Amino acid sequence: MKHPRDPAAPGRAAALLLAIVILWPLGVIGEFHPWTLFEAQNLRVMGGFLAAFLPPAVGGEFLAHLGRATLETLAIATAGIALAFVLAVPLAMATTQALSVSRIGPGPGRRRGEWLRAALRVVLVVLRGLPELVWALLFVRVFGLGPAAGVLALGLTYGGMLAKVYAEILESGDSRPARALLEAGASRLQALCYGLLPGAAQELTSYTVYRWECAVRASVVMGFVGAGGLGQLMDQSMRMLNGSEAASILLTFLVLVLAADALSGLLRRQLGETDGRAGALAFGRRSSLWLLLLGSALLASYLWLDLGLAALLSAAALASMAAYFGAFFPLDLSPDWLASVAWGALETVAISALGTLLAAAAGLLLALPASGRYGQAFEQLTRFLLNALRSVPELVWATLMALAAGLGPFAGILALALHTSGVLGRLFAEALQNAPPRPRDALLEAGTPSASAFLYGTLPEVSPQLIAYSLYRWEMNIRMAAILGFVGAGGLGQLLYVKLSLFQYPQASTVIAAMLLLSVAVDAGSAWLRRWLASPGG
Amino acid sequence: MFRLHDAELTHSNGFVALRDIALAAEAGEQLAIVGPSGAGKTTLLRLISTALRPTRGRIDLLGGDPWALSAAELRRLRARIAVAHQAPPLPPRQRVVTAVLAGRLGQWPWWKGMASLLYPADITGARAALLRLELGERLFDRCDRLSGGQLQRVGIARVLYQQAQLVLADEPVSALDPALALQTVQVMCGDAAARGATLVASLHAVDLARSCFPRIVGMRDGRIVFDLPVAAVDDALLSELYATEGGGLPLLAGEPAGMSLPARAAGLPPRGTCWR
Repeated sequence: MKHPRDPAAPGRAAALLLAIVILWPLGVIGEFHPWTLFEAQNLRVMGGFLAAFLPPAVGGEFLAHLGRATLETLAIATAGIALAFVLAVPLAMATTQALSVSRIGPGPGRRRGEWLRAALRVVLVVLRGLPELVWALLFVRVFGLGPAAGVLALGLTYGGMLAKVYAEILESGDSRPARALLEAGASRLQALCYGLLPGAAQELTSYTVYRWECAVRASVVMGFVGAGGLGQLMDQSMRMLNGSEAASILLTFLVLVLAADALSGLLRRQLGETDGRAGALAFGRRSSLWLLLLGSALLASYLWLDLGLAALLSAAALASMAAYFGAFFPLDLSPDWLASVAWGALETVAISALGTLLAAAAGLLLALPASGRYGQAFEQLTRFLLNALRSVPELVWATLMALAAGLGPFAGILALALHTSGVLGRLFAEALQNAPPRPRDALLEAGTPSASAFLYGTLPEVSPQLIAYSLYRWEMNIRMAAILGFVGAGGLGQLLYVKLSLFQYPQASTVIAAMLLLSVAVDAGSAWLRRWLASPGG
Repeated sequence: MFRLHDAELTHSNGFVALRDIALAAEAGEQLAIVGPSGAGKTTLLRLISTALRPTRGRIDLLGGDPWALSAAELRRLRARIAVAHQAPPLPPRQRVVTAVLAGRLGQWPWWKGMASLLYPADITGARAALLRLELGERLFDRCDRLSGGQLQRVGIARVLYQQAQLVLADEPVSALDPALALQTVQVMCGDAAARGATLVASLHAVDLARSCFPRIVGMRDGRIVFDLPVAAVDDALLSELYATEGGGLPLLAGEPAGMSLPARAAGLPPRGTCWR
């Protein structure tokens, strides 16, 4: 009998080789030097700063500032996410394949539908291709310092993100009910409500709440460019190396994120409960209460922020906006500048790729205890650690890491790795908990060691999800890596920040264009990679 | 091989799934468990495989009380027991070769299990197990490319590959057509006999049980109703066992009771040939 060989082996070997060939130069570009962390001088600065954390500042005046800033941060996040939701729902409905009428048959207007969908996808890419902080930095110069720029920036960026993810969630579920309705002549909205929402509402809601939580973190950072909220305070404390104030603010972040977590869990549980209700009313008393609370929170946010949106749409404001954005054209395309932008882009990619890779590895290691496989105590402990890691925004991590490892791209890598391992660890733990337990249990019942049972029984089931999460985070981290330069952690952000400060708008717009291009490339690349991984033999 | 002493199992919701179970099997013995749905066949197999712990009574397994062992000893004990599941618990994205090789993870050192994920450690062995079930050509396919019946046979191939001393099978051929079901059970019986392993199978089709197993255990409402050599199990006894199910006895191909073998016309061996 001929000895059979594994037909997948050459492909795997090639992939491994390719990974090394790609990662090595990225490490060089990203100045990946872990040993700098342990240099005496860096240890001393960081140690001194950390030692000042205890006790956290609790002065009356400082606490009043902190409370006001916290409320403003929450209001910016809430108002921003509401704007994003309003933008995202129609965009998601128009772009998702699950609600395409013209694909049935294929029917009339198929070509037009595809064009429209493609055009809207481009709009989405532009909206979320630029980090909210860049939008904020741009808007602050038109609308002045204050929360309006932050709300608009959040609304645009998160609108694009929500629309994309909504469309994906709608496509990932069972599309047959909606399709049957569309085939029976229902409208898109009807098919959405009757065919897709019953299956997807829970995931959509929990993702929206999760995004709100991200918006809180993003609006924290808005203060760094003058768009209000906690960021302003943090910026001051960090500049003065005031450890006790920084500790208080970091604790506030943690509380904010934990509160958002609790709210998300509460909402999800309640969604699950209403499923079993037999009453005629679609919304139970509790859901109505939630909607009422949500409405009043929105109203309070807009009132608190005093946005004056009408003034933004006056003729004079529109004219000054047009003049301002007109100054960005034409782009500076001289070879010298293009070369520096290209290097900045490479650095950004290196920072994001290495940061995400480190985070995925650390996240998986942390997800094992966080999914409860080593007992309740470890689960709670790692969950707290994960929450602490992700409750601190990347930009804040970057300022801390610049103390620990010096200015430069390596600080950016560490910042992304720390924050993202918190995010991925939580998502991974959820995926591990939701994985079908039978394959693993069957292996354990056959005397398999638990590590092997995990690798053979659980990992094959969850690995596509883990990879998809990591790729999606990488996509987000590329945009984040572009901003980290605002605090001196390398990449495109550094170039943009410098050029905007010098009012050199044509050069700045080249950097913005590079950010967009990068985002598009990553979008295409990760979509291709996901398809390849889903295909047989991947 | 194993011995249950008045074992009783009560689920956490208070439902008594098994009561007064006294059952024993010697090394090399082969027995089939039959009975209507909900009789407790699966629970009994899970009790023997140490997936469930009896709430009352005792179990002796491979020379001792498994629940008195340390975790490491229990793991080693479990590696000597193989279970073929009705719905094989195989990850859909796993390749057949990996799924089959996973049968020996309990016997391999941990590093071999890791290495085998990069390059299958024993392609020949996995292929040999699959070839016995006529699945040799699906070696490198992914499990989600297989039909339900093929998947069930991959699960059995894993059991064959594990080479356990005690083989438990829970409706192992429920998704196969009659001819293939008979052939597959014959492979399992033959393998166990050749290695001197003990085989306990719950079967829905009573004619399959009677044609392949020398000893039949009838279960109903969580109790063992009879435990007899196959010659003593007649249609009357079985009809009584299945009394509430309505209609005739559950058979492999749906012929009326008493027509003994399903696929006699197809030239398959008559009753009683797959055990010695």
